[in-house]
Amino acid sequence: MSEQKPERVYCPVCLQRFRYMPGWKAGDLVICPICGQKLRLEMTGEGWVGSRPEKGTDQEIRDRVDEFARLRGFKFNDMKDEVLDGLIGKNKRFGDFYCPCRMEHVPEYQCPCEPTRRGDVLANGKCYCGFFWRKDRGAIDPPPRP
Amino acid sequence: MANKPLVYALSTCPYCKRTKRFLDNHKIEYEVLDVDLLDDAKQDEVIEKIEKMTGRRSFPVVVIGSEVIVGHDEEKLKKALRV
Repeated sequence: MSEQKPERVYCPVCLQRFRYMPGWKAGDLVICPICGQKLRLEMTGEGWVGSRPEKGTDQEIRDRVDEFARLRGFKFNDMKDEVLDGLIGKNKRFGDFYCPCRMEHVPEYQCPCEPTRRGDVLANGKCYCGFFWRKDRGAIDPPPRP
Repeated sequence: MANKPLVYALSTCPYCKRTKRFLDNHKIEYEVLDVDLLDDAKQDEVIEKIEKMTGRRSFPVVVIGSEVIVGHDEEKLKKALRV
């Protein structure tokens, strides 16, 4: 009997599971297609799990938001650096990159927050914080993928 | 000004920072309460007050006399402060 391969990878940022692609192996760096987080693949008793190789660094959140914007086709505006400063401040004071415009420090408000991941930008033209903008309303493209 | 404007803010919120910067640039003396840095009991009390005043939980909130301005709105600030 052949062993069934686990099919999903757990992302510790958006707390979702995404499809495991054939050929991926432990130690590989992949991007969560839901939130843009860079993950290092690990096989655990629970199946494939991504760990955060640059957890808590400024670079981690910069890469995540740029990647998320590229994945969704979103733009930024002239608030980008100020919102990033707010996210970095949240991490310093409250332990992770929660939305800087909200009071709550809960996993669903980890940036990009759950409402943003679920379509708020398309519905309202921007996210709650005015960080991610729909293509027709934002001004600044994320940088090209390194 | 008899009563200083009061700014309810979040320490990390970029729009709150813009409001503080606007007031600083116009040399307006004001008081500020960074709500996210308060202890839990005080935070609950202040949030309740903000929700009663504005009907929501959004920052910044600037109280100028009897006027309450929600969000960073320079036109409203200028009008209320006569600057």
